[in-house]
Amino acid sequence: MKNMKRVLAALAAAAIALGLTACGGGGETSGTGNGEGEYDQVVYAYATFNNIPATEDLAPVQEAINEITREKIGVEVTLMPISVADYTSKVSLSLQGGEKIDVYQSLGNFNSCVASDMCYDISELIDEYGAGAKEVVGDNFLDACRVNGALYGIPTYKPYALTPMLIYREDIAQELGLDIDSIQSVNDITPLLEQVKSAYPNMTPLAPVQSGTIGLHMCMGDVDWLSDDYYNPVGVLLDNNTTVTDLYTSDVFKERAQLARTWHENDLVMKDAATTTTTAAEAMASGNYFGYIAAYSYPEEDTAASLQAQCGNYDIAAKILDDAFLSTGDINAVSWMIASTTDVPEAALAFLDLTYTDEDIINLLIYGIEGRDYVLNEDGTVSYPEGEDSTTVPYTAQLSCGTLGNFFKMYPTEGTNPESLAWEEAQNKEAETSVAMGFTFDSSSLKTQYTAVKNVISQYLPGLLCGSLDPDTELEKFEQALMDAGYQDILDAKQEQLDAWLAQQ
Amino acid sequence: MLQSKAFDRFASIFLGCLVVITLLPIVLIVISSFTAEDALIQNGYSFWPQEWSLDAYYYMVKQGAVILRSYGVSIFVTVVGTLCSVLITTMLAYPMSRKSFKYRNVLSFFVFFTMLFNGGIVPAYIMWTQIFHIKNTIFALLIPNYLVNAFNVILVKNYYSNNVPDALLEAAQIDGASEMTIFRRIMLPLAVPAIATISLFTGLCYWNDWTNGLYYISNEKLYSIQMLLMNIMNNIQALRANSTASLLGTGAVDLPGTAIRMAMAVIGILPILLVYPFVQKHLVRGVVVGAVKG
Amino acid sequence: MKKLLHPKAAKSSRASNTPLLLIALPGIIYLLINNYAPMLGIFLAFKDYSLIKGPFGSDWCGFQNFEFLFKTKDAFIMTRNTILYNLAFIIIGTAVAIFVAILMCELGERKRVKFYQAAMLLPNLLSWVVIGFIAYAFLNADTGFINNSFLAWLGLDPVSWYSEPGAWPAILIIVNLWKNIGYQSIIFMASISGIDKSLYEAAAMDGAGKLRQIRAITLPLLKPTVIMLTLMSIGRIFYSDFGLFYQVPQNSGALFATTQTIDTYVYRGLMELNDVGMSAAAGLYQSIVGFILVLIANKIVRKVDADNALF
Repeated sequence: MKNMKRVLAALAAAAIALGLTACGGGGETSGTGNGEGEYDQVVYAYATFNNIPATEDLAPVQEAINEITREKIGVEVTLMPISVADYTSKVSLSLQGGEKIDVYQSLGNFNSCVASDMCYDISELIDEYGAGAKEVVGDNFLDACRVNGALYGIPTYKPYALTPMLIYREDIAQELGLDIDSIQSVNDITPLLEQVKSAYPNMTPLAPVQSGTIGLHMCMGDVDWLSDDYYNPVGVLLDNNTTVTDLYTSDVFKERAQLARTWHENDLVMKDAATTTTTAAEAMASGNYFGYIAAYSYPEEDTAASLQAQCGNYDIAAKILDDAFLSTGDINAVSWMIASTTDVPEAALAFLDLTYTDEDIINLLIYGIEGRDYVLNEDGTVSYPEGEDSTTVPYTAQLSCGTLGNFFKMYPTEGTNPESLAWEEAQNKEAETSVAMGFTFDSSSLKTQYTAVKNVISQYLPGLLCGSLDPDTELEKFEQALMDAGYQDILDAKQEQLDAWLAQQ
Repeated sequence: MLQSKAFDRFASIFLGCLVVITLLPIVLIVISSFTAEDALIQNGYSFWPQEWSLDAYYYMVKQGAVILRSYGVSIFVTVVGTLCSVLITTMLAYPMSRKSFKYRNVLSFFVFFTMLFNGGIVPAYIMWTQIFHIKNTIFALLIPNYLVNAFNVILVKNYYSNNVPDALLEAAQIDGASEMTIFRRIMLPLAVPAIATISLFTGLCYWNDWTNGLYYISNEKLYSIQMLLMNIMNNIQALRANSTASLLGTGAVDLPGTAIRMAMAVIGILPILLVYPFVQKHLVRGVVVGAVKG
Repeated sequence: MKKLLHPKAAKSSRASNTPLLLIALPGIIYLLINNYAPMLGIFLAFKDYSLIKGPFGSDWCGFQNFEFLFKTKDAFIMTRNTILYNLAFIIIGTAVAIFVAILMCELGERKRVKFYQAAMLLPNLLSWVVIGFIAYAFLNADTGFINNSFLAWLGLDPVSWYSEPGAWPAILIIVNLWKNIGYQSIIFMASISGIDKSLYEAAAMDGAGKLRQIRAITLPLLKPTVIMLTLMSIGRIFYSDFGLFYQVPQNSGALFATTQTIDTYVYRGLMELNDVGMSAAAGLYQSIVGFILVLIANKIVRKVDADNALF
């Protein structure tokens, strides 16, 4: 036992020495700009949904961007594309490990970035270095990134408004003479689904849109999730009321759960909807399904056209089920932040600004080098070079189009309807916005409750909204479990913060 | 005698059934990878699909160069990593097995303790990247986590204690052999069965690892095959995952289908299937040597 | 370290200790760096971690990071599940592995045996993600093999496996056995083949049948290996194989009552929160409980049978 103690003491000493050096080392590495001299160095980390390009394929893109930035803002940029699956964890690990990342984005986790001190407060800098971006996005949407008065980021400028729609098989609708125009809301779908079921008993009329939801959460009317979302603890504002309400005891939730249950019991929806990993497009492509409910940013016809290929080339059509509704969370879900650890906040913001205003930089980021990675058609649209596609070109980040800087400055892809872009931009301006637009909820003091409540939600919610749980019996249990997990604390805190915020307006 | 024969027959039949049951699931994914995507969704998974298809493998061939290179990385890391690991592990285990070694218990505890406590990823990440600068080098795949595994050390140590008679060591010492010589000439050859076993385990760890790559590698040239597969699978999951899909705003994401995922799984295990019979021969021979010497 | 080599030690013992220590040195250094140095991070469990203030500058917050592990109703469920599953894996896994190992050794050196071994080790080579896919291919309600072919063939109604918590203890134990049995039985086979053959011959001469030989010779001689493996598993009884409990049930919320373990709870909770302090706290909690359990178990083993204690 004595020996053991001695060894442990020696170990501890050695380890402490190592540990201390570890943190001492952190400071040295951050001054990377040495030698290169006159230009500020900025590392731009972005999530790509496409393949990660090889270093030598990335280099020309980076150099082309640097040619612009050296001249315009005196900055050299290092591009750091990270695969979307690892993005959040890699960025936070890198920042914690003292590595240099100056500009990064949130992927639906704006609040946690702020709560874990990852963001630089740019309120003072925005007018000088980010004026262009500020103008593009507009003060109203910029407020979505404000927490307690400090500005922590700039939302990506893209079509924010997602309109819930029924995507369905036009050929079947025609054949059975379904009265699609009768659909005013999601409740009106049921008779149509029943018609499909009786004509094609082997078919399942409705597919889930993603695992765990058949799309009903998008059709609850004007819901402001108040910094949460469907999968997180929610106290919401319903119909622009300023009282924080428990969504799960609301009438609209009960109605939707009942509806899902009816569908489930009459075999109108995929049995395993709550847990399946099959996506809506896969299900549609199999020919076994009639339709699904999802939210898209395009108008009906363009949505249907863009989905056709994925859905097995059946005739696809879309029908809007509800109006789009914008709240803070819709805006700041994808936001660009300056890292709190940066040593060049001004240069970082100046580059970020260009990704909102400079057409060349945006298109380099998205499509790469003209001629090598894409060709520009006469009508101003973009397609891949002859014989290539997104998986074979050296560089493309085309699928990240809604997440980088300014979507409306990007060249449209071939086949895009220019009117649809106009429609989208109009939707951004016209869509109904929440009374609490700009309010963000700070949940940092409620971590224990959040963890517990989140668990309860993932236990009950998919089942309730996919119909595999009976709301008559389970809803009550759900509510009880939520209360046991400290749900009321969250509701109270939310109301309190919201009231304080409203008082300031 | 009769009982012995009956027992023998029982063993044969029982193990035979067990093996069939074990293999069925694997056969099912192999078959699924050759099934047409539509048939998979329409008729479900089946050992005799209605429609065969090679589409999934065409997709893989398109990515051929990348896959080959990552195979190379995986093989290099597995071979070098396993060799180093086996050497260090047996060297560490040998003193622990010597009854005359004064710090035997302390050392055992020192090793065992590592199985219980770990500092978590953040401190380890800071240490490896800031002090040792292994980020984006091949060392990042070789060194962190897998070089010495307490479980393997204890396994070898126990093997030594149970199979090497003290008298043998004493005789060698009387002959004037140094500890290093004893280790090299006697202990290492004697440990072949144990070494075969831990090589297999360690090799598997290296082959199947993707976490080191996730944390320390961002250069795609150093991607191992597992990282490649994980990456593709993770991307699929991320795209399905709740919030991400709607972030895109557009629906145009072309996900690899179910059959392709199955094909990837098959490609990941294929080299193991090919190499395994050879490794296994040594493993079995090793076990036999141990039995004879014991 | 210095103290260990202190000249106070008797000359003769130093003569034999130092070379041995040198041989062990590479391994010791590696473990110091790879395993012990990062353990310093444990203090983060008591910090309200802030990226700007850094690990040392962050404020201390006492045991606040531990609250989420104990304060809620889930604490009981996840602790119960973790321990019960591990116990089941230790007991059933060991029993089945020994059984298989004995049968394998019984068949001796035939070609078939090599094939059997290879086949049974195969699942161990697969990652949990792949195994998750395989399980899904079997259990999926609409297209899965069990519902689609097996139950249909028996004329039974399909079962929605991913929303039937009751079935999952059995499913998880089977999947775990399927993956690990080949691996575990190899360890036991190596031990069995190390047993002196003359013991069996002598027993056979005395007229002892196969079963008797197993009971009287094989099982007692396997005891040291079993004890060692069990002690090691006990140390990890508060950990769970994350892949098994996360990937195989497809993260299905309806199954939490029987699939939630400490690791999955921590992961689910921290995935979003991204809180260094809380994950350090969870790790520390698991380590300490495992550590105490092992010390106790080792003490008991030492009392009963000193030779087989781990340290």
